[in-house]
Amino acid sequence: MSAALDPQVLWTWAAILGVAATTVITRCSFLALGERAKLPPVVERGLRYAPAAALAALVVPDVLSWDGATRLALDNPKLVGAAVAIAVFLPTRSMLATIAAGMAGYTVVRLWF
Amino acid sequence: MATPASPPMSMPSPDLRPSRGTADERRAAFREGVRDYLPMLPALIAWGLVTGVALVQSGLTLAQAIGFSVTAFAASAQLATLPLIVGGVPLTVIVLTALMMNLRFVIYSAALKGSLQHVPFGRRMWYGYLTGDMGVVLYLKRMQRDPGWAARDAYFHGVATVNFAVWHVSSLAGIFAAAWIPRDWGLEFAGTVALIALLVPLCTRLPGAVATAIAATIGWATLHWPARLGLVVAIVAGIAAAVLVDRWRERRAAGPRR
Repeated sequence: MSAALDPQVLWTWAAILGVAATTVITRCSFLALGERAKLPPVVERGLRYAPAAALAALVVPDVLSWDGATRLALDNPKLVGAAVAIAVFLPTRSMLATIAAGMAGYTVVRLWF
Repeated sequence: MATPASPPMSMPSPDLRPSRGTADERRAAFREGVRDYLPMLPALIAWGLVTGVALVQSGLTLAQAIGFSVTAFAASAQLATLPLIVGGVPLTVIVLTALMMNLRFVIYSAALKGSLQHVPFGRRMWYGYLTGDMGVVLYLKRMQRDPGWAARDAYFHGVATVNFAVWHVSSLAGIFAAAWIPRDWGLEFAGTVALIALLVPLCTRLPGAVATAIAATIGWATLHWPARLGLVVAIVAGIAAAVLVDRWRERRAAGPRR
């Protein structure tokens, strides 16, 4: 019981449900609003680029840092893993091959240094 | 006011909505949707496994990982917010980030609205919840071929149901498998790699590339801001830059300046 009431645990559940709420709200938005709702073109255009911006803002700083600091060197496993992943993704467009290659690059550097 | 001619016995209530096809037509449409989705399954399974493993290896408890996977049902939003949740970033930043990752579904929802408006409300909301990237693409492609198809929503349901079922099975498999995988393998990085595979195709055209460059630079430069507030600034700046580039290109394409 004490575990369930731990503020840290409750907070994590609140975050999880918050993310779930964004799923429901965005996916049902226009299906719920009915006939008259329409997006202004400039908003629709902006929405189109939201995933790229969000992914870039998250992934790039994450990949550039290792042990809590920016590390632009070949001994940063995430940087090497990401580079290998992109090199494999571009010609193959395969999610499976990309994940395998990225993890392989990451693991080689992690074990090497 | 005159009521329309009394309906045949097989129709329990007069319904003025357009027909959604006979039971047979609907079953066939559902099956066609399932079949059309099958080629996507390997990627979906890999993506689900990786997400499940990443949830546990990042430090969520088993119950939290299952709860997150089952309720959020959004791989990219889950993977994106995972480090933020584990890192104890403020709720507002987490929810805003999830919203940014999920905003594309507002566009999908607007694109689906026209052809699913005749579906009863509760069922329409269920379809909305089931919406996934691949499902929308397949459905809209099928609609182009046959816009007036009465049983079209059953096709959508078929596509979305395979996606839903296979996704949850593979994600749960990843969650349970994670316990057997040593933490120092760093498998949560597989989640990052999966996000990279989503990001790269979005950068192939200029506005997307500009959004990526701006958001990445600001995201990196503001890493040390309190509460990762820089994340929100980076995303908004990236979107704004892409829209500006888009408009500039459009104006240039429209013809020479006077």
